[in-house]
Amino acid sequence: MRRYVARRVAALAATLLFVTALVFVVVRVLPGDPAALIMGTEGSPEATERLRESMGLNRPLAVQYVDWLRGALHGDLGRSIQYDLPVGNLIVTRLPVTLPLALLAAVFMTLTAIPLGVYAATHHRRAGDYLTMIVSQFGISVPQFWSGLLLILFFSVSLGWVRSGGFDGWSAGLWPALRALLLPAVALGVFQAAVLVRATRSAVLDVLREDYVRTARAKGVSEGLVVGKHTLRNALIPIVTVAGLQLGQLMAGAIVLESVFALPGLGRLALGAISARDLPVVQGVTLFVASGIVVINFAVDLAYGFLDPRIRYE
Amino acid sequence: MIGRTIAALLGAILVVTVAGGSALAQSPANLVVQAPVEPPGLDLTATPASATAAVLLYNVQECLVKVDRTGKIVPWLAERWHTSDNKNYTFFLRKGVRFHNGRELKAADIKFVLQRAMNPETKHPYPGYYEAISDIIVKDDYTVTITLKSFNANFLLNLARQGSVIYPREAVDTLKSAPIGTGPFRFEEWVRGDKIILVRNKDYYVPGVPKVDRVTFRFIADPNAVLAALKAGDVDASLFGLGPEHVQDVQKDARFQVIVGDTTNDVVLAMNNARKPYTDVRVRRAVTYGINKPDVLKGAMFGMGKILGSNVDPLNPYYIDVSKDMPYDPGKAKKLLAEAGYPNGFDTVLKVAPQYYYTVRSGEVIAENLKKVGVNVKIEQIEWGQWLSRVFCRPPCTDPDYDLTIIGHAESWDIANYANPKYYYRYDSAKFQDLFKSSEVTLDDKARRELYAKMQHMLVQDAPVVWLYMHPRLAVAKKGLTGFWKDLPVPAADLSEVGWTPAK
Repeated sequence: MRRYVARRVAALAATLLFVTALVFVVVRVLPGDPAALIMGTEGSPEATERLRESMGLNRPLAVQYVDWLRGALHGDLGRSIQYDLPVGNLIVTRLPVTLPLALLAAVFMTLTAIPLGVYAATHHRRAGDYLTMIVSQFGISVPQFWSGLLLILFFSVSLGWVRSGGFDGWSAGLWPALRALLLPAVALGVFQAAVLVRATRSAVLDVLREDYVRTARAKGVSEGLVVGKHTLRNALIPIVTVAGLQLGQLMAGAIVLESVFALPGLGRLALGAISARDLPVVQGVTLFVASGIVVINFAVDLAYGFLDPRIRYE
Repeated sequence: MIGRTIAALLGAILVVTVAGGSALAQSPANLVVQAPVEPPGLDLTATPASATAAVLLYNVQECLVKVDRTGKIVPWLAERWHTSDNKNYTFFLRKGVRFHNGRELKAADIKFVLQRAMNPETKHPYPGYYEAISDIIVKDDYTVTITLKSFNANFLLNLARQGSVIYPREAVDTLKSAPIGTGPFRFEEWVRGDKIILVRNKDYYVPGVPKVDRVTFRFIADPNAVLAALKAGDVDASLFGLGPEHVQDVQKDARFQVIVGDTTNDVVLAMNNARKPYTDVRVRRAVTYGINKPDVLKGAMFGMGKILGSNVDPLNPYYIDVSKDMPYDPGKAKKLLAEAGYPNGFDTVLKVAPQYYYTVRSGEVIAENLKKVGVNVKIEQIEWGQWLSRVFCRPPCTDPDYDLTIIGHAESWDIANYANPKYYYRYDSAKFQDLFKSSEVTLDDKARRELYAKMQHMLVQDAPVVWLYMHPRLAVAKKGLTGFWKDLPVPAADLSEVGWTPAK
């Protein structure tokens, strides 16, 4: 087990190194630099050139990357060009928006998808199954920005129950904060749930065809116990795998929905930083998100062992 | 069992949401306005971004003189000025004006601010504005004389622009994130990625101003999200960023007023004058004749805005209407193309940045128009950063990479760009450059007006670009809000006189 963990940590470091180098090169190779974007069409060419130089953009790419890496290893992610704040601070101030948003979406996803998936599987080829599949097909097909806007139009513009967007922070109180995050979390969770419903349904269907399920039923075990214990537990491995992947995708969805709902979260930070070529911020967020995804994958791998004692890590 | 779980969950969501919308936006002394772009820094002496000016100029920071809502230059921090020879300007400062840090504004501050702007080390975005200054003499605490090396007809205008805001010297290092000035509002907080909050300056020297206690600028880029926020009552006004189709939608809603006005934003179809076939003036004229501008205005702006014939906007005192000098005439366009050696037309690429929606829409109409005279336009959409570095040719670029492009130039008095052969149009006319130079040193209003008329006529004939239309100001506000500027002679969003009527 210890050797396994050590191997995983080494793989994690290599992944992060690769991802940050890739992002660095891609953002730098994109035409347009932060100095040009700050000066727009109005500033003089001389002022633009001087700004470029003061930002250190005239140095070779490799030197800039090594500089950044050295700082990052010492816990210094650099300073945002656009906001003039340490990148670490920016990420920390955005987390109270994005983490609860992702968490709410994940809770919504799990609480709706797994029961619905089990329901569809146990009612295979009956009306409930078809209905669930049709609804989930909708959930997968409707783009998130669109479902987000529909939710705003209905709950905020027509009914006036929640505000249309924005976030005043947790200091404004638990209740107002949760209310601001609810609609985007639902919009974010619907898509993920739709995918997970289908995965759950097929995993449960597979297990329901196993011999031991037939045996359990033959022994007269109640249907609730057959589904809840014998089937679901055994179907969890593929479900957890898909759910883990879905968690990683929540970040991509957050970029879209934080813009629609005007939430000052990590996704919007990343999006703004890319258009402003605010490289330190892009790098910092990428590093953070990539670490998060790698950790989630790791947790999923460890979960296999708990779900199925036959799995060993050597 | 599962059905019950789902029902309980939906019920929970319902309960959570039934708790009333935000009342913040409507409270009496508050004003929540939307702007599409968050400023890339709050130091007007370091960034030329109009997003920064929209928040700060004339709200938090002010200048010696001010461009008022009609476009006129009026005394401001200087209560009057005097010049006998147009080379020595003496400004008499208003007494008792205090910066937001409590210190009184003195003549020495003016000297410090201007000297700092002139110093290349400080990376001021417009050092050219202050080039003509040779000396700044502080006579006493409230009197300062600025001496010019040469006549500069735009000197006072430049002192009213966003780069010339007056700030206290002790705040110079914090301007980027906590700007200090003398304006009707003081800067309170910038929640990065979300909003900027300004509060009333209780010591403001103009009685009765400002009209509200607190202004929140919320940054929402997506027009649909802006519309939703307006309709849900979360913002009181949208200052920029709504398109004509959204405005039409709001016009039907009795709760809102729509403000349509003039701006200095000239939308042009730029042609790369250094690249074939646009090196030939006949081709450039043919393109001008081949474009049906009223069609473009209808297709891109639903007819809102004004058709232009040259590069002086209708808010400029020297504007002359040349919009009908080269009217739509496809027959003439074909003839000119044949004369230039393109009887069958040619293929060309139009690069536009979809960040500015009107460029794409205008491009589509133009491509249709030009097809009829044999010019096949391929539209290529590129991202704004790429546009700036490749098309607009920011350093290290040396050679603009485009045939055709569309963009709105919002700088006022930007006719100067045609006198700059290095500008991305690459229009290089010695005659025009001379005309412009003499207009800069001519102070007699009548003579200057004549020079401006000459320049505009010359531009029409040389057709370095096609002037399409003036982008209109499109703003939406709740009914009951008054005091907004109708036209925008400078890229500012002066909120000093905006308030609720009747007062809430």
